[in-house]
Amino acid sequence: MVRKKNPLYRRLPRELRSELGKYLVIFLLLTGSIGFVSGFLVADGSILAAYEESFEKYNIEDGNFHLSEKMNRAQRSSIEDFGVTLYDNFYATETLTNGSRLRIFQNRSEVNLVCLMEGRMPETADEIAIDRMYADNNGLSVGDTLQSESRSLTISGLVALPDYSCLFEDNGDSMFDAVQFGMAVMSAEGFSTFHDAELTWSYSWKYDADIAPTDEDAEQEISEELMKAMLREVGLEAFVPRYLNQAIMFTGDDFSSDKAMMTALLYMVMAIMAFVFAVTTNATIAKEANVIGVLRASGYTRGELIRHYMTLPLLVTLAGMLVGNLLGYTVFKNLCAGMYYGSYSLPTYETRWNAEAFLLTTLVPGILMLLINFVLLRRTLSLSPLKFLRRDLSRKSRSRALPLPRRVPFFTRFRLRIIFQNAGNYAILFVGVLFANLLLMFGLIFPSVLNHYQATLEDNLLCNYQYILQIPLSAMNEERKLESLLSMLLFSLDAQTENEDAEEFTAYSLVTLEGEYKSEEVLLYGIAADSRYINADFEEEQIYISQAYAEKFGTQPGDIITLKEEYGDEYYDFTVSGVYAYEGALALFMEQDYLNAYFDLGDDYFSGYFSDTEITDLNDQYISSVIDLEALTKITRQLNVSMGTMMYMVDAFSVVMFLVLIYLLSKTIIEKNAQSVSMAKILGYTPGEIGRLYILSTTLVVILCLLVTLPLETRIMYWLFRAVMLTSITGWIPFYMDPLIYVQMFALGITAYTLVALLELRRIRQIPMDEALKNVE
Amino acid sequence: MFLEIQEIRKSFGSGENRTEVLKGASLAVDKGEFCVLLGPSGSGKSTLLNIVGGIDAADSGEIAIGGERMSGMKERRLTDYRRRHLGYVFQMYNLIPNLTVRENIEVGAYLSEDPLDVDDLLHTLGLDEHQRKLPGQLSGGQQQRTAIGRAVVKKPDILLCDEPTGALDYQTSREILKLIETVSRRYGSTVLMVTHNDAIRRMADRVVRLRDGQIRDNRLNEQRIPAEELEW
Repeated sequence: MVRKKNPLYRRLPRELRSELGKYLVIFLLLTGSIGFVSGFLVADGSILAAYEESFEKYNIEDGNFHLSEKMNRAQRSSIEDFGVTLYDNFYATETLTNGSRLRIFQNRSEVNLVCLMEGRMPETADEIAIDRMYADNNGLSVGDTLQSESRSLTISGLVALPDYSCLFEDNGDSMFDAVQFGMAVMSAEGFSTFHDAELTWSYSWKYDADIAPTDEDAEQEISEELMKAMLREVGLEAFVPRYLNQAIMFTGDDFSSDKAMMTALLYMVMAIMAFVFAVTTNATIAKEANVIGVLRASGYTRGELIRHYMTLPLLVTLAGMLVGNLLGYTVFKNLCAGMYYGSYSLPTYETRWNAEAFLLTTLVPGILMLLINFVLLRRTLSLSPLKFLRRDLSRKSRSRALPLPRRVPFFTRFRLRIIFQNAGNYAILFVGVLFANLLLMFGLIFPSVLNHYQATLEDNLLCNYQYILQIPLSAMNEERKLESLLSMLLFSLDAQTENEDAEEFTAYSLVTLEGEYKSEEVLLYGIAADSRYINADFEEEQIYISQAYAEKFGTQPGDIITLKEEYGDEYYDFTVSGVYAYEGALALFMEQDYLNAYFDLGDDYFSGYFSDTEITDLNDQYISSVIDLEALTKITRQLNVSMGTMMYMVDAFSVVMFLVLIYLLSKTIIEKNAQSVSMAKILGYTPGEIGRLYILSTTLVVILCLLVTLPLETRIMYWLFRAVMLTSITGWIPFYMDPLIYVQMFALGITAYTLVALLELRRIRQIPMDEALKNVE
Repeated sequence: MFLEIQEIRKSFGSGENRTEVLKGASLAVDKGEFCVLLGPSGSGKSTLLNIVGGIDAADSGEIAIGGERMSGMKERRLTDYRRRHLGYVFQMYNLIPNLTVRENIEVGAYLSEDPLDVDDLLHTLGLDEHQRKLPGQLSGGQQQRTAIGRAVVKKPDILLCDEPTGALDYQTSREILKLIETVSRRYGSTVLMVTHNDAIRRMADRVVRLRDGQIRDNRLNEQRIPAEELEW
C-alpha cells in the first residue's frame, strides 16, 4: 500500500509564514550559537592538530637548559653520552625603544624550526623576523624598523617559533606576555654581532630514539636522571624539560579547557531553546485545541499529531544546524582562529573536518531538542479529545480560583490572575533570565576583576622593586663542594648594593603537590628582623601565607601545608600562623633566620632585595628577575588582550539571548490571551489600558526575575570563577564583584525588555475585535 | 441492529457534587438510519453522543457497532475505532485555519483506505468555487459544509452530529440538514444527530427523546419528510 502524505503537512509553510517572527528569532539564535560553537570547535580542533603535529614537523626540543657560560666540547660530549643530542639555542635579549623586550635567536636549522607566516626570513645582518603575534600586538609589520639603543633592524618577515607558542618569558610566570615580550630570529651574520656577554647560553636537547619517553611519567623520570647527569658536568642556571615548559605546553592545555567551556555553553543554550520551543508549541496547541479535538475525535492518532507539531521546530532546528555549521566552517572558524592567533603564537593550520564538532553541535543538540519536544508534546496530547474540544487543557481537575481580597484594586487583581495563569511560562522565563544574565555577568565581571586585581596589586605591593638574585647553580652543587664554596663567595661579594633603600631577604622556591590542581611554584620569603617593607611581627617559627595562597587553596591559620622541592623528593610541612595581605603571588613569609636555618643556607645567606627605588649597581648576571608592578600586572595585561574581544561577544550574545527569550515568552502570553484582549477591546478598553494589564504583568515578573536572580548568579559566578581560575592559571586572581555590574545588568535587562514590550504593545493593537467572536462555545 | 447502546450510565463530579447525567440509556439503530436525539439542555444527549464517539467513557453499559464491542478498548484501539467507523460534525466547525477548503476535506480523506473522491464531494457540497479559499474567507454555512465534507469523505459507518445547525440561520440550517440527508443517503452512513430543535425530528427515521439522563421516548417516524420541506 502506498503511504499517503498527511495533508496536515501542507499547512507548515503557511504556519511558518504566519509565525515568521518566532521561528526567525529561534533560527537566528540557533544558527548563531551552533555556528559560533561549531566554528570554535573546528578552529580549536584544526589548530590543535596543527599544534600537535608541530612537535614533529618543526622538531620541537625535548627540553632546554641554561648555563652561565658556554659549554666546552668535553662537557657536551659527556652529557650527550646520557642518550641525548644537544643543540645550541643561544639568545640575546634586546630592549627596544617601545619598551618591550625581544628575545633574539639565530635562525634554527635542526630543532625548533621556525615557521614563516609572512614575508621572508632575514638574510642580511640588519634584518630580523619577529614573532607574528608580538607584531600584531605592537602594530608592527614587515618593512618596519625596530630600534634599540645599539641596533636598528628591519623586519623582513613574521614568524612563529614552535618552542614559544605561548610567550612565557620565564617558565615560572603566572601568565604569558605577548605585548611586552616577543621572539625574533636573525641570520647567522646578524646574530654574530651580539657579544658573548649579551648572550644567554641556552641549549636544547632531544632524547635519542632508544630512550625517548612515551608518557609524562617516563618523561619526568628520565629528565630527573638527565638533570643529575648534567649537574655532574656543568652548573645549571635553568633546566626545563618539555612537559614542564609552559611556552610549549600551555597552548595545548588551554585548548582543551576552552573546548569544555564552549560545549557546556552550547548545551545550556540548546536546553533553553528546546524549552522555548516546547512552550511555544504548547501555546500553539492551546490555540488549536478545538481543531485537535476534532482531529482526535475523527481518528487521528496521538503519534500523527505529535509528529505534525514537532515538524516545524525540528525543521527550524535542522536549518539552524545546517546554516550554523556552514557559518561555523567559514565565518566563525576564522573569527575563533583569530582569537587564538591573538593569544598564541601558532604556526599555520589547515581547516579539518571535525566529526566531534559535528556530533557536539549537530547530533547531540538535535536529539536533545527532539526529546524535550517529544516528551512535552506527548504529555499535552495525552489529554482526551473531549478535553481538547472543551479547550480544557489542564491536567488536574480545574482548581478553584485563588481568592484575592476585594480591597486589592481591580487592575492589580487582574494582573495577578495573569501571572497565576502563566506561571509555567514565567518559570521558564526565570530560568532563561538566570542563564542569559549569568552569561552577561561573565562578560562584565571579567574586565572588572582584572582592573580590581591591578588596583589591589598597586595598593599592596611589598615594595616597588623586588630583586630576586640568581645564585649560580654551581654554588649549590653538593658533589663539588670546593667549587660551590668559591662560587658562593664570589656571588656574595658581587651581589652587594649601596642603595640605601635596599633590604636583603632570602627567597626560596618550593612547589605545591600535584593533586587536584597542577603543581605550582610557591615563593618563600625570609624577612629581615624589623623589616621596613614587610609589616608583620614574626615570632619565632611563625609563618604567614599570602592572601593569594589563602584564597586559592582555602587555607586558614592553623592549617598545615605541605610543599616540596621542584626537582627532588624532599617534602616540607608548615603550620600557617596568619595571612599576609599580598595578592601578587603564592608566597610564604617567615623570619629570615628561620628560613636560612630551615633549609641550612647559612646565617648570612640572602638571595634578594626589597627596594622602593631602582637598584642600579647590581651586576646583571646575578639578577634572576625583578618583580615590579609591571611584572605583576603581566597577567592582567595579557588576559585583557586575549579575552577582551571574547568578553564583548559574550555580552552581546547574552543580551540577544535575553531579548529572544523575553520576546518569545511574552508573545506566547499575549497570544494565549488574544480572545480576552479582543473582548476587552469590544468592551471599550483602550490598547494602553490593555497593555497595562497584560504587559505590565510580564514587566513585573521580568523586574522580579532580574532582581531575584542577581544573588543566585553571583553565587554561581563565584563558584565558576574559582573553578576556572583553579584549573587554568597558575597564581591567583581574586573574585571581585563590582556593585556597578549589578546596575549595568539591570539597566541592560530593562532596556532589552522595553524593546520587547513596545513590540508587544504593537501586537495588542493588532489583535482584531472579531477574535473574541471566533470559536467560542 | 447496527448500533447497539445498552444501559449506559455516566456521572460527573464526586461526593455531594456528583451528578448522574445518563441513567441507563439503551438504544438500537439500524444501518443507514437517520436518528435524531432530542431533549432539553442537560438531558445527557451530547454525553451519549460523545460516548458513542469514543471520546468519553461510560461508567457502565455497553456499546457495539456492527457487533464490535467498545468496552475495554484501550486508547490505541479507540482511536482506530474512531478512524474506521466515525465521522464528527460539531456546532462549531473547527476547521484548520491555514488549510484551504479542499485541504480541510483531505484531512478527513487521509484517514481512510478508500475515501470518497474529493472533487465529487466538493461538487456535492456545492463548494467547487470555494475549494481554494481559507476558512476565514467563508460564511458560517460554507464552513459547516466543509466540516461535513471532512467528516463524510472517509465514508464513516456512523456520522455523529452535535447541534450542527446551532450556530446557523434558518435558511442555512435547512441547507445543511439537506446536505447531511443527501450524503448519508448517497453513501449509506448511519446518522446520529443531537439537537434541541424539535422541528428536525420530522426528517428523521428514528426520534429519541431524552430527559434527566433517561430515554423517555424512542420511536420510528412513519411520516418522514425531506429536509427541504422542514419549517420552524
